[in-house]
Amino acid sequence: MSTNVPRANPLRRFTPLLWVGPAAALIIGVVIWPVVVMATTSTLNISPDGFNLGSAGLGNYRELFQEIALPGVLMRTAVWVVGVVVVTMVVSLLLAQLFNQAFPGRRVARWALIAPWGASVMMTSLIFRWALNAQNGVVNVILHDLGLVNLGTDQADWLGRPVAAFVWMMAVAVFVSLPFSTYAILAGLQTMDSAVYEAARVDGASPWRIYRSITLPLLRPALIVATLINVINVFNSFPIIWEMTRGGPGYSTSTTTTFMFILKQSYIGESAALSVINFAIVVIVALVFLKVAKWKDQVD
Amino acid sequence: MSRKLIASLAIAGVGSLALTACAGGGGTKSTSAGTGPGGVTTLKLVVADYGTGPSNTSSKYWQSIITAFEAQNPKIKVNVTAINWNDFDNQVQTMIQNHQYPDITEGDYFANYAQEKLLYSADQVLSNPDNLLPVFKNQGSYDGVQYGMPWTTSSRTLFYNKKLFAEAGITTPPTTWAQVQTDATKIKATGNVGYGLPLGPEEAQAEALLWFLGNGGGYQNASGQYDINSTQNVQTLDFLKSFVASGVTEPNPASKNRTDLWQQFASGTIGMINGSPALIPIINSGGKLTSSDWASVQIPGKNGPLNTTLGVCDNVAAFNANGHQAAIKAFLDFAYQDKYQLQFDKEYDLLPATTSATQALSSDPIFGPFLKALPQSVQYPSTTSWANTKTQIQQTIGTALTGNPKSVLDQIQQTATKSQ
Repeated sequence: MSTNVPRANPLRRFTPLLWVGPAAALIIGVVIWPVVVMATTSTLNISPDGFNLGSAGLGNYRELFQEIALPGVLMRTAVWVVGVVVVTMVVSLLLAQLFNQAFPGRRVARWALIAPWGASVMMTSLIFRWALNAQNGVVNVILHDLGLVNLGTDQADWLGRPVAAFVWMMAVAVFVSLPFSTYAILAGLQTMDSAVYEAARVDGASPWRIYRSITLPLLRPALIVATLINVINVFNSFPIIWEMTRGGPGYSTSTTTTFMFILKQSYIGESAALSVINFAIVVIVALVFLKVAKWKDQVD
Repeated sequence: MSRKLIASLAIAGVGSLALTACAGGGGTKSTSAGTGPGGVTTLKLVVADYGTGPSNTSSKYWQSIITAFEAQNPKIKVNVTAINWNDFDNQVQTMIQNHQYPDITEGDYFANYAQEKLLYSADQVLSNPDNLLPVFKNQGSYDGVQYGMPWTTSSRTLFYNKKLFAEAGITTPPTTWAQVQTDATKIKATGNVGYGLPLGPEEAQAEALLWFLGNGGGYQNASGQYDINSTQNVQTLDFLKSFVASGVTEPNPASKNRTDLWQQFASGTIGMINGSPALIPIINSGGKLTSSDWASVQIPGKNGPLNTTLGVCDNVAAFNANGHQAAIKAFLDFAYQDKYQLQFDKEYDLLPATTSATQALSSDPIFGPFLKALPQSVQYPSTTSWANTKTQIQQTIGTALTGNPKSVLDQIQQTATKSQ
């Protein structure tokens, strides 16, 4: 950014404030202030009915780290984020490549891809829950007709078995994350100069070579940003898990986000402590990711 | 080019971060709906929804009372919100946590709110509190004062599908756990579910208690102390664990909710399930079972049928934060009339909660037996730690079926006694 402010009128030095001010106020009010409240809450002893009973020091954090379910929840969160984001990005790369080609009905196909994005995630999750009903869910009925499962059995009860439920929920998370990533990558693809490809072809490069040496490197900025936003979104994803299993049985399909909500019912301070940790995780993951991906090199 | 893209995506990124931040702390603003213009008081009524769909949602029932009430009381307006049973506790609790108090709630009642001094006592908002069924008085009381006012009650029995029993060659309904096991196995052999065991988060605390009672256990001992990890209760869960392992229940009971299994019973594919009168309309609207296809009996225990059952009442609670005592009293006196009690029971197949309405219904062929069982019924604990304990039972007790019953119960016991 340039800072060539004319020195003649000293008041003019404050002109940028006029432009930056509203945005700064918004960020302070909407981002920073809640973080402060959250951090304060995590050190308070708050009754289940929302009354402040004084300071708890680090007691909420101690209680939180003593939760037997916590290690499992943290591990599951890591699997959830890494699994969903990696699959989403790989599939999005393929889809974006496809949508970048000219084919009949491309406009319709592009519109159709927006549907999972436009639909409420809660509704999508509910529909998947119904579709996976052990008795009469459409997925099970199809699998049954193919002779793969028996209705009403443990096998058909996808959401009753923690591991199967978790895999299905990850699939739903991928489904709702695809549109954004695909469009981000598609936007990146469309900025590319066809002259570069032309040159590569003239030099005799194979399509795979072109993809690896030209397309992927040029897509890097789009990939970095799309991945980062996906990491944050998927980490915070609440409705899918809540609607499909409520994090249960027990806490066996909970991530930190749903676990935080379950804790909130009874232990507000402890829940706030977990929020603080969640927030720290997101910030750290984002910083590490940008460092590793050499974000600065891209911008400058 | 790509820089523009990055800039716009980065903005989206900041937005996402903001979401993380917002997910944290609860607000602490206090809003109190005072008296509106023209001296009109607006009451906020929050009720649990007992309906099975939009056609008989509870807000319709309440709206009919409100319409009649407002016609007589032009200075009072009542706004009703009906909340699905699955979300009721959670949503009411969130309102309280955020200090956005309703005036009246009807559904679950927790002693915490009385302890926090958020409630009017029964005699402050009812002209004749003695008409409320005395058997539930203790459950709604805190420090000897009644705050929870029973609105509707129910008791539990074992429903069984006569058609499936005949098909499996069973002539009499079971009275002991061993018979339940045998009969469920026979029904399973017909390709149906032998026994419906809803230990998912919706109502696990009820299903578990019905089994605990069958082995002389429960949540509290005779002197009212929490005794959740008692030997009897551990034994009970050990039995359930082997019962489930034998494959005669629906798969994975820890993730199955009562409503879903009741619907499945109504569709005729479950042999036995514990139910309340509220199951009857679900059976009727299902259209698969006629009234001669099912019956209900006393719940089997380890060595014989239970002589007590779980008596449940849903309570009205009146919040004092908005200071609407007179208006609340006027409305509750109006709503507690016998005709509205009976209308509610007819609509949702539940039992009345006042002495006068009970007398009016005592000779009813369907409700009579349930009403007779009420006075001997066992109730949920009424201590201030019950809310947290109940949440934990709902969330975790099903895990005992695949895990270690003793340690699951130990943890619940810890929660129950921690905040006492």
